[in-house]
Amino acid sequence: MQITPNEAEESLAAISSMKKRMHQAVANGGTHYFLIVWGAIWFLGFLGSHFLAEKTAGYVWLALNVLGGLGSWGIGMLLHRRVRNPSISATSGRIGLFWLTLFAYCALTVWIAWPLDGRQLAMFIVIFAMLGWIAMGFLLSFFLIRLALFVTALAFGGYYLLPDYFYLCMALLGGGTMIGCGLYIRFRWQQS
Amino acid sequence: MNELNEIIHQPVRLRIMAALTMLKPNQEVDFIYLRDMLDVTDGNLGAHLLKLEDAGYIAVKKIFVERKPRTFVAATVAGREVFKAHVEALEAILKLGRKK
Repeated sequence: MQITPNEAEESLAAISSMKKRMHQAVANGGTHYFLIVWGAIWFLGFLGSHFLAEKTAGYVWLALNVLGGLGSWGIGMLLHRRVRNPSISATSGRIGLFWLTLFAYCALTVWIAWPLDGRQLAMFIVIFAMLGWIAMGFLLSFFLIRLALFVTALAFGGYYLLPDYFYLCMALLGGGTMIGCGLYIRFRWQQS
Repeated sequence: MNELNEIIHQPVRLRIMAALTMLKPNQEVDFIYLRDMLDVTDGNLGAHLLKLEDAGYIAVKKIFVERKPRTFVAATVAGREVFKAHVEALEAILKLGRKK
């Protein structure tokens, strides 16, 4: 079979384009979708905590968490529809159970430690959520560990150094960092 | 120098193999998702997949998910090796063409 260098170049370009599309679609397990969704939830939730009355903000958080849970489930289903890995299907289920267990333990800890003020409650949730991200990082990508440690450090910094602006700090820096990292991952895969 | 593979070189099959070899071993892509990604019809994709399957370059698995039939496609080890050799042959042709 004989082809010209131009035809070879066109074929290689087609291969490269297809590889890029597939890479972008399935690489990193869709981590960026989850980061963007939960970053947006943190951003809106903490903004609510800063600007709204405590009770109203609590309802806003509840609604956002339900939306986030449904959104994450939807994203997981969508990704699973595209590409599946039979050997890790069981692991995916266990990851879901891990997050449920982690939030149950978070709720138990909050219950034991009650009464807490709004900032303390937020810190408990941040610490448990970041612990979950670190566990995911060990399983999927060390990038998540660095991100979780950074957000944890931000949360502690805001809690102790800027108590009056803690919620705002978590909205802009915590939620913003997660959204930014999600967009960065997506952009990086587009470029690679 | 590696030889070009006539089965793989056809444009749609070339793109199918490019997409499938991007997946990790043991990963499978959904037929519908692959069809949309390649922008081809069901029949067209089915015919090309059959050709690649007959050559042993891909594995097609039909299963039921939530009582609905679904088809998943994956590159075989042989398919990955043949595709790699094909890409190397294309690169060699391009390199030779640039030297002239």
